[in-house]
Amino acid sequence: MGILKKVYNWIDVRIGAGELVEKELTGYLLPRNINVWYSMGSILLCVLTLQIITGCLLLIYYVPDAEKAYQSVNTIMNQVPFGWLIRYCHAVGSNMMVMVLLCHMLSVLFMGSYKRPREMNWLSGFTLFNLVLLICLTGYLLPWSQLSFWATTVATNSMGSIPYVGDYMVEFLRGGKLVGPTTLGRFFALHAAVLPIVIAAVVGLHLFILQRVGISTPPFGRDETRITWKGESYAYESHAGGIPFFPNYLLQDLTSISIYFAIFMAVVFFDPYIFYPETSFMPADRLQTPAHIKPEWYFLANYQALKIFPSEFLGIMVQAAAMTFLALLPFIDRSPERHPLKRPLFLALAIGGILLWIALGIWGHYS
Amino acid sequence: MINGVMMTLAGMLVIVITLGLSPSAAYAQAETVCIECHAAQTGRTGEPVRQWQTSIHAENGISCHNCHGGDPKDTPNAMSPARGFLGAPKEADIPAFCGQCHVGIKVEYLASAHGKALGRGGPTCVTCHGSHGIKRVTLDIINEKTCSQCHSYERAAEIKEAMRLTERHITDIGAQLGKLKGKGIETEAQEKKLFSERNRYHRLFHDVDTGRVKAESAGINKELEKIDGWLTGFADTFYKRKLAGGIAVGSALLAALLFHLLMKTYE
Amino acid sequence: MEKQGRRRFLITCIGGLAAAGTAAIAYPLLTYLSPKKAVSTRRAVEIPETDISEGKAKFFEYEGKTAVIIKAKGTVHAFSAVCTHLGCIVQWEKEKGQFLCPCHAGRFSADGEVISGPPPRPLEKLPVAMRDGKIIVG
Repeated sequence: MGILKKVYNWIDVRIGAGELVEKELTGYLLPRNINVWYSMGSILLCVLTLQIITGCLLLIYYVPDAEKAYQSVNTIMNQVPFGWLIRYCHAVGSNMMVMVLLCHMLSVLFMGSYKRPREMNWLSGFTLFNLVLLICLTGYLLPWSQLSFWATTVATNSMGSIPYVGDYMVEFLRGGKLVGPTTLGRFFALHAAVLPIVIAAVVGLHLFILQRVGISTPPFGRDETRITWKGESYAYESHAGGIPFFPNYLLQDLTSISIYFAIFMAVVFFDPYIFYPETSFMPADRLQTPAHIKPEWYFLANYQALKIFPSEFLGIMVQAAAMTFLALLPFIDRSPERHPLKRPLFLALAIGGILLWIALGIWGHYS
Repeated sequence: MINGVMMTLAGMLVIVITLGLSPSAAYAQAETVCIECHAAQTGRTGEPVRQWQTSIHAENGISCHNCHGGDPKDTPNAMSPARGFLGAPKEADIPAFCGQCHVGIKVEYLASAHGKALGRGGPTCVTCHGSHGIKRVTLDIINEKTCSQCHSYERAAEIKEAMRLTERHITDIGAQLGKLKGKGIETEAQEKKLFSERNRYHRLFHDVDTGRVKAESAGINKELEKIDGWLTGFADTFYKRKLAGGIAVGSALLAALLFHLLMKTYE
Repeated sequence: MEKQGRRRFLITCIGGLAAAGTAAIAYPLLTYLSPKKAVSTRRAVEIPETDISEGKAKFFEYEGKTAVIIKAKGTVHAFSAVCTHLGCIVQWEKEKGQFLCPCHAGRFSADGEVISGPPPRPLEKLPVAMRDGKIIVG
C-alpha cells in the first residue's frame, strides 16, 4: 500500500491528479433525479472501444484484396483459434451499437435534452449517428461475400437517380463501373482508417461539449420542467447539491454496461445468425445475384421509402429533408418546455415517426 | 460558423441517405444467344428453355451449349456444326450424349442389362430421368409406374430397398453439412467427400445388380460414418461454445448486480 | 459502519470477478494471436544430384529457414545459410569459393569456417547424405 501511495503522490505533485479528480469526477455534480437513460452514452463509448479492439484484431488476419478477402475471413472463422468469436463480436457489436445509439437519441428526444443550451451536443451527436451508419455500410463490403457484394451494389446504385451527376457519382463511389476490387480498396480505407479517426475526433468533441455544457436535468418528478437558463453561467454549475459523477453515477454506468454485455454476449454465443443470412457465407459472385438481397435492418425503412415513391430521386429528397429536419431540430423546436407529456404536438410527431419507421422497416423486410 | 456546420451536415446527410439502398438490383445472369431466341419462341422449340429453367442443371449453371454444343455468343453461327453443335441426339446416342459429363454412370449403364438392350427397346437415360427439366435425383425415381413400362417391378423394388438406408444416410449428411455451411463453417472438404461417395453409390446403381449394391454399400457406409464423426465433433464444439456463452452471460449479470448493490451503499 | 463492511465485501467480489473476466479474455486473445504451431517434424529435403554442379550453390528452405548446399572438390556440403552474426542470408561467391554475408561483410570458407568479419561462429552444418542420385539434407 505504501508504495502505491508514494507513486500516487509522485504523480500528484507534478500534474495535480487529485485536484483533477476533485474537480472533474467526485466534484462534478449531476442532477439528483438522473436516470438510467443517461448511461447510454457510456455504453456507446464501451461498444466503440470494443469495436476498435476487435477491428484491430481482425486486421491481423484480414486481407483487403478482392481475390483473398473472402478466404481470409473464412480462415478467421474456421482456422484461427477464437477467430469466430472476434468476428462475431465485431459484427454483432456493430448492430448493437446502432440499437444503443437509437436508444440514446430517443431518450434525448423525449426528455427534450437537445434544447438550448445543448444544440451543439445534438448536432455533434447527430453527426456521429450518420458516421456510424457510414462505417457500418463500408464494413459490410469487406468480407466480400454474396451479401456484401450485392448489398453494396444496390446501395451505391441508388446514387444514380440524382439528375446529371448521378451516374458519375456511382462510378466515383465504386471506383469503376461496377462494384469490384477498386471498391474494396476505397471502402477498406474508409472503414479501417478514415472513419474511425473522424468518429474518434467527433466523440471527443461531443464529450468536450457535454462536459462544458453539463448534463441536462431530467424533466421527470419536478414541478418546473421549463428551461430557465439565460446564459448567465455555465449550465453544469447549476446542479448544486447533486450527486457526484464518481463514484455514484459511474456505478450506474457500470451496471448498465454489464447488462448490455449480458445481452451482447447472449447474441454472440447463442444466435449471431440473426445478423448473418446464409448469403453472408457464400463468396461474392459477380455473375449471379442471389434472391432476397435485403439491406441491414437499420436501412430497411430507407430501402422501403425509396420504393414507394414514384421516382427514386423524389424518395431520396424526401428522406434528405426528413434527416435535415432532425439535424436542425433544436433550432426548429425552440419552446422551453421539456416534459414530453406537456409537449403533445412533439409527442404525437415523435411516436408517429417511430411507428412509421418501424412499419416501413417491416414492410421492407417482407416485400 | 453554425451555417458551415449545417452545410457540411446537410451534405453528409444526402450521402448517407442516398447510400440508404435503392431497390433495383439490376444484374441478372448473362444470357446466351440460345436462351435469347428460344425463350421467345412459343411451342415445341421454346419448351426446353422453360423446362430447363426449373432443372438442377440450371441451378448449377449448366446451360444449353454445355450439352448441345454450338456457339452461345454468336447468333448466326450458334447452331453451326462447325462450332460443335450437336443438336438433339438420336435414341441410341443418348447415353453418349449425357455421358459427355456423367462418365462413370455411362460405363456402368452400358455394362448393365439396361445398356445392353440399348436400341432394342431398352431404356435410355431420359426414360427415367427426363431431359431438360431434370431434377436432383431421389430414390423415388425407382417406382412401379416407370419400371413396369418394360418389366415387372419386383427386382426394381428389391434394389430400391437395398439402397434405401444408405440413400437416406447420404441425404441426411448432406442436409447437416448444408446447415453448418449456412453458419459459416468450412464444409468444403466434407462436401467433396460426400459428393464422391454419392457418385460412387449412384454409379453403382446403374449396373442394376442387387448383389453388387449390397456388397459395396458396406464400404460406402464406412466412409459416410467418417463424415458423421466429423459432424459429431462439430456438435460438440457448438455445445462448448454455448456453455462458455452461458458462463459469460451469467458473469455479466452478476457484475451488474454487484455494481448495483455497490451503488446503493453510496446513496 | 455496516455500510462500510458491505461496501468492502462488494468491492472484493467485483475485484474477483474482474480478475476472472480478465483471464477469460486473455486466454482466447493469446491463442488468437499466437503463431500457428509448426506442423512439420524434422523433415528431410531431397534434391536431385543433377541440380548442382562443381563450384555451384543451391539455396532452399529447410525447417522454415534458408539453407544452402554447395559442391566443392567433388563433395557436397550443406549449411544453414543464416549468418551467425545478425541473421542475414549469406551469398555464395563462386569465383572465390567463399560465403559472403552482405550485411557486414562476414566471410566463411567452403567448410563454413569464419575467415574474416564479425561472425562469432562458423555456419551451422546440416547432415547431408547421397542416395540413388539424390542429395538428402536432414
